[in-house]
Amino acid sequence: MRIESRIDTSSEEFRANMAHNRGLAAELRTRQNKARFERPARDIDRLTRQNKLFVRDRLNLLLDPDTPFLELSTLAANMEYDGEVPGAGNVIGIGIIAGREVMIHADDASVKGGAWYPLTIKKMVRALDIAIENRLPVVHLCDSAGGFLPLQADLFADKYYAGRLFRNQAILSKRRIPQVAIVLGHCTAGGAYIPALSEYNVIVRGTGAIFLGGPPLVKAATGEEVTVDELGGADVHTRISGTADYPADTEQQAIAIARDIVAQFRRPDKLRIERLPPAPPYYDPEELYGIVPRDIKVQFDMREVIARIVDGSRFHEYQPAYGTTLVCGYAHIWGYQVGILANNGVLFNDSSLKAAHFMQLCNQHCVPMIFLQNITGYMVGRDYEHRGITKDGAKMIMAVAGSEVPKITVMVNGSFGAGNYGMAGRAFDSRFLFAWPQHQISVMGAEQAANVLADIKIRQLQRHGQTLTPEQVAAIREPILEEYRRQSSAYYSTSEIWDDGILDPVDTRNALGLALSAALNAEIDRPHYGVFRM
Amino acid sequence: MKHLFVLDGQEYELWLGRDACGYRLLLDQERIPVALASDGCGRDRLTVGRVSVPALAAVDGDVVHVHVDGVTRSLRWVDPIARYAAHSGASLDDIIVAPMPGTVISVLVEPGHEVARGETLVVIESMKLETAIKAPRDATIDLVHVSPGRTFDRSAPLVTLAPASEG
Repeated sequence: MRIESRIDTSSEEFRANMAHNRGLAAELRTRQNKARFERPARDIDRLTRQNKLFVRDRLNLLLDPDTPFLELSTLAANMEYDGEVPGAGNVIGIGIIAGREVMIHADDASVKGGAWYPLTIKKMVRALDIAIENRLPVVHLCDSAGGFLPLQADLFADKYYAGRLFRNQAILSKRRIPQVAIVLGHCTAGGAYIPALSEYNVIVRGTGAIFLGGPPLVKAATGEEVTVDELGGADVHTRISGTADYPADTEQQAIAIARDIVAQFRRPDKLRIERLPPAPPYYDPEELYGIVPRDIKVQFDMREVIARIVDGSRFHEYQPAYGTTLVCGYAHIWGYQVGILANNGVLFNDSSLKAAHFMQLCNQHCVPMIFLQNITGYMVGRDYEHRGITKDGAKMIMAVAGSEVPKITVMVNGSFGAGNYGMAGRAFDSRFLFAWPQHQISVMGAEQAANVLADIKIRQLQRHGQTLTPEQVAAIREPILEEYRRQSSAYYSTSEIWDDGILDPVDTRNALGLALSAALNAEIDRPHYGVFRM
Repeated sequence: MKHLFVLDGQEYELWLGRDACGYRLLLDQERIPVALASDGCGRDRLTVGRVSVPALAAVDGDVVHVHVDGVTRSLRWVDPIARYAAHSGASLDDIIVAPMPGTVISVLVEPGHEVARGETLVVIESMKLETAIKAPRDATIDLVHVSPGRTFDRSAPLVTLAPASEG
């Protein structure tokens, strides 16, 4: 049944929201554009001098023209390293090469020579995790100076640091998911293992090189003097060592060879789920700007959002009269049937039970799930504790963790407290997790948290006999609030790679379509759960 | 259950089923093949039984506009879930209850006020979330049960609407 919109698009409120959210979307585009294309002239000049292409030009050559590219984590590291490492120094995303859906990881040599910062590693590990979970072949465009040594302690030794890249590459191979590396610059030390662990690799004569230690390190270690080409150039590796497979004369030729390799890959059958011919939403997605309120504290009906994302704005709502603060139901997105769970207020006992039950239905019948988050948490208070809100919340968390169908999460607005967990937050292995520009995320709302933290501090001072003027209290409270707001913003979240990128709301339907298509490359296991506390 | 279409204000119950060549129309036990084929240049050909005529068709949500012989007809499909809903005057929906416990921030209506569907009646706050309680239909306010600053439990009545008049 088609959702009947109750929005008055001519109201002042709608127009004010529209202006506000369009502004946020414009800011997002400006930031993304900057991260993608703006580089200091000296870095671009250096690439030209080295006869190398800019990473975006390489991607244009690699991908099938006129096909979508779902770029992920474009704004990673935007609030780290003094903002000097745009995109965390690499590009990742899902694109089409020779008609095959592949994950692409490309080092960006225009940023610090392609050095790997801690967040660069995190972004690459995430790309390979996505490839493993969704059985996507990977194409690596390798051009990196290696690990950024001043921060080596934050990227080398731990479980999810650089070693995880190579572990993930080995797991991909073990699961018969092929990888191609194109060596376009130096692959030094750890970086050398990226092509070495790929099934296929192409190396460019003159600019590409693979070695465990570059010429200066060799000189320091053994006294041996050797040129880059003699040590690990294209001819050394394709004629003598066998570390690389295909020599190429130019970057263009290397990319053409890689495309030809990908064209040999078997086109996997996608998982068959319920499908219909796709249809656009009945309501204009542009209206999303007018629906999301300017103030994150103000609630809105998530059905209005669903109506602007799903095919024909049609939604079969499940249990419409029960647990009404969570909207559940079936819809189609680009023809794929999905189960949607969307917050319409605080989670109560009944809404938690409804969620757990609906997730079991989706798993039982192989329906991927979309979570639309706008959640302040599970309801607090004596009555609710007596009724077992914690154990009902636990049921919901048990169901989400035990789900086998693909989950995709969109952080539409707020994501606070355990509500984040129950609604398939980052820790619950959503195949993809996107955010909208106004999104905020933290253990509790900024004002509540700042009040708690400030109160503790004020009481400590009072215990030492100090009395504080309102100005002094404000002086304590404001910086805490400011820092808390910064850390709960969408830009901080995406900077830390807690999500896979911020979406302009109107792009959500397309992003979900691409993500669903990618997710259907993997089989779905039979559902099985832990113990539900009854 | 047959499909219900409305054409020129008149309701028609019929069943349009798929078959190998397109659709078949079930009309009074008779099965009539129906097909709408495009010639690829924006023109369509409508075939009903043995008659085949040039036509143009455009779909807008649940409405199909068909242009045949210089006349445009608009055919509207009626969703059976909406059609078979009972629209009695008084209902549970007339008492608007709190979706969650909380505090009243503001009350924007008084008994006797006429409100339009979607108009905000009361704004409440719960768990740091402000929720605007809106009118589910055009109505007259009968009772307002709360005042600003007051707290209430989940499902507490907030506003009662006067029953909708028949017709």
